[in-house]
Amino acid sequence: MTAPHADQLIDGYLARICAAAHDFPAAARDELLDDMRSHIADARARDSQETDATILNILDRLGEPAVLVAEARERLGIKTQQPERPGLLEIAALVLLLFLWPAGVVLLWLSSQWKTRDKIIGSVFSLGGYPGISLIGLVLAGAGAGHGSRCITVRNAAGDVLQSSCSGTSVLDIIGSVAQTALVIVLFLLPVLTAAYLAIRLRRWHRLETIAA
Amino acid sequence: MALMQQTPRYAFDLIDALAKTGMLTTEGTLYPLLSRLRRDGLVKTEWRESADGPPRRYYELTAEGRRALTGFKSEWTTFRGAVDAILQEAKKS
Repeated sequence: MTAPHADQLIDGYLARICAAAHDFPAAARDELLDDMRSHIADARARDSQETDATILNILDRLGEPAVLVAEARERLGIKTQQPERPGLLEIAALVLLLFLWPAGVVLLWLSSQWKTRDKIIGSVFSLGGYPGISLIGLVLAGAGAGHGSRCITVRNAAGDVLQSSCSGTSVLDIIGSVAQTALVIVLFLLPVLTAAYLAIRLRRWHRLETIAA
Repeated sequence: MALMQQTPRYAFDLIDALAKTGMLTTEGTLYPLLSRLRRDGLVKTEWRESADGPPRRYYELTAEGRRALTGFKSEWTTFRGAVDAILQEAKKS
């Protein structure tokens, strides 16, 4: 006969072991759980008149999940893992990425809080931080200086204006300057957006880890 | 380890034997110990079908395990002899 709440009791016990051993390597945890399962099965097999009390006694004799896991941790030399929290290093990385880009990138790569993909994104799209962007801006401004409205004025010897033709503000020029302004805005927003992205990834990754735990 | 000297045993069987001697209070703690012995290569394990339930993991001493056991036995004998001698001495005085 099966105890009325056998499954609940046993599942609850195993869940507590699983929770206590959350930071074990999967193989070690699975082995421990397998051992517990087969132990419980063996113990149940010898009692034909099983009640909830029988199950509770079996689990009691096995021991407190926390004690068992602590024992396993010690025997197998599994270190207690402190979940790493984003700290000063990460904050410094984000700030420096904006204002002192090379140092920010170094810190970004030193931190264990981001995945490689995010580190690459962070390094590339921060565009050298604001000093780097100013540089890019200067180069663009230099290139743009050649454009703009040009007037050709033809004068006679006395200095009177004979003909003045301005290529003025044509549609193309307007589009050009709008595009240029947009580019500048995007350039200036990009490092901030990158930093924001990194900050979000930081928290999301951390949260996922906590859930997995 | 001495319990599996003659024949491979499964954990529940070992626990039963140890419980009879009163040496085991929390039965579950034997499992981490067995895992450790296995990791250290002192025992090897093998799954075997059981007649009345799911397959069981049987533990068996390896050659290294036997050597370790022999070593422990002689150490234990020396230790027991030393403790006995001290107790005898204490009784006399």
